[in-house]
Amino acid sequence: MTNNRSIHGASSDLIDAFTETVRRYPERPAVVHHGDTLTYRQLGELVRTLAHRLGTGPGVVAVPATHTPDTVVALLGILAAGGAYCPVDPAFPPQRRQDMLAAVGCRTAVGPGIAQPGVRVVELPGTTTGTPAGAQDAPERTGPEQPAYLLFTSGSTGQPKPVVTPRRAISATVDSLRTLFGLTAEDRVLQFASLNWDTCFEEILPTLTGGAALVLDRDAHSGSFPRFLRMVERERIGVLDLPTAFWHELVLHLAEEGLALPECVRLLVIGGEAANPARLADWAALDTGRIRLLNTYGSTETTLITHAVDLHGPLAAARDRPWAAGDRVPIGRALPHVYERISEQGELLIGGPAVALGYLGLPEATADRFTEDAEGVRWYRTGDRVGRAPDGVLTHQGRLDGEFKVRGIRVDPAEVEAHLAGHPGVHAVAVTGTTLAGRSALVAYVVPRAGAAAGTLGADLRTYLRDRVPGHLVPSRITVVPELVLTASGKVDRAGSHRLHSARGAGAGRGTGEGAGAQLPEPEPAHH
Amino acid sequence: MSSVDTTPADTDGLVTIFRRVLETDDVAADSDFFLLGGDSLIATRVLSAVARNYGVELSFEDFVLAPTPAGLVELIAAAR
Repeated sequence: MTNNRSIHGASSDLIDAFTETVRRYPERPAVVHHGDTLTYRQLGELVRTLAHRLGTGPGVVAVPATHTPDTVVALLGILAAGGAYCPVDPAFPPQRRQDMLAAVGCRTAVGPGIAQPGVRVVELPGTTTGTPAGAQDAPERTGPEQPAYLLFTSGSTGQPKPVVTPRRAISATVDSLRTLFGLTAEDRVLQFASLNWDTCFEEILPTLTGGAALVLDRDAHSGSFPRFLRMVERERIGVLDLPTAFWHELVLHLAEEGLALPECVRLLVIGGEAANPARLADWAALDTGRIRLLNTYGSTETTLITHAVDLHGPLAAARDRPWAAGDRVPIGRALPHVYERISEQGELLIGGPAVALGYLGLPEATADRFTEDAEGVRWYRTGDRVGRAPDGVLTHQGRLDGEFKVRGIRVDPAEVEAHLAGHPGVHAVAVTGTTLAGRSALVAYVVPRAGAAAGTLGADLRTYLRDRVPGHLVPSRITVVPELVLTASGKVDRAGSHRLHSARGAGAGRGTGEGAGAQLPEPEPAHH
Repeated sequence: MSSVDTTPADTDGLVTIFRRVLETDDVAADSDFFLLGGDSLIATRVLSAVARNYGVELSFEDFVLAPTPAGLVELIAAAR
């Protein structure tokens, strides 16, 4: 590339780092997919070809994101053209996908699957065909404050709330993560996370700017742990990045079978919600001493990971006693590119290059969470209450609002309530988070409208939501109740309604000592 | 895998696994795991229990097509 432009602040642009990696390691494997390998040279050519097809500054580009090399090419090609990547999950209900595209004013899409009036579809260069046409330079890119990607967080109105992340944020974060993970060109990194959320960038971007190999394999998503573990061994995976909730299940499986992870694994990154100290104790009791177990914390608005700490393994601080239930597992220390501040209320604020531009088209919501101090530094209020341990690591102490995590994805209960309230059979509704069957889950309490068929309302509402919202917004339990608990000011008391009705819910969630029905669990830390 | 175990899968056994994983007694032979509040995450517990008890490795995709105790019994029998 001839437009290798100035270094922006501490970090050069992500695509410059990728181009440099292609130059250094042209024949090394970049992407491995069921045994098929794209070298860095081949990947670089595909990315350049796609960038040319998109043209300079294509704006927001939608991608039907799947676990394929095509989606990786699309992500990098869009960034190389100066556009903003916007994944649209093909599994989402059509109405949700339309709302998402409309919310971001998307007029360009890559690959098949997004056929809508007014949206130009750009074909991906084939990953199996010969050398793509043209070895020209990439188009002129835009500056560090231009959007790199748009992702949707849960919004209280029921409409998707797009977070806009600029290039300097992802560039600075990826630099920090390469160092944090200790990545080398010898590493093989599993691509596990959905390509429709930002966690996948933790896997893809440090890997492909570090000369390592990104491995995609369907056995990662089969739901069968024996198959998963055989794949890790077969593909010689050195680095795994798993949602904490999935890691909990993996540890249960390993502990029951008396197994360890294959020898090839050197680093296991977890994040998304609070790590369960009981699972941590189980993990430590297995033959896992050589594996770095790295806990991570961050929000979509502060770009992937802002805090991390080794919990177990060669780089973890020694502990004077084993982990036990009730311990608070730390969320870590700020990474080098992250400024942190703790407010008088104990809320964690994040500043510096990692902070997103805000919520697209929502100036009030943006002003509510993003502020600028006297020195011109932008800060994001995370909504997480934290404390600082004597050794400087942060621990999570709860949320300042009603948000919580479902399978690692942040959910605003008001969004689910807004959708449920749209059903003609619903008079009033309260949604909250709790622990069901040992994992975080959504529960809904619904008061039927007079004359509604209360007997089938719960099942009707489940179908109604399935047609409208992503799976993580569908409550695990929908209970029809005669009334909700109100606060003194007359608002619905979510926690109070849950306390009143959970004891006579649908029969699920009791008898395990998890505390369901008695009290709400500690809210989970935010991550993505 | 069938060398590990040849216990025949029966509906009662699968109902017991569903009850344990979903933490509810409200499970019958034709109960849909996902309508009882199950999701892809805790589905892995059912798949692990099936692999352990019956020596058959099913995938999440298999499970989605037959998300009931009776449906899984048929899948397990077919996989052997």
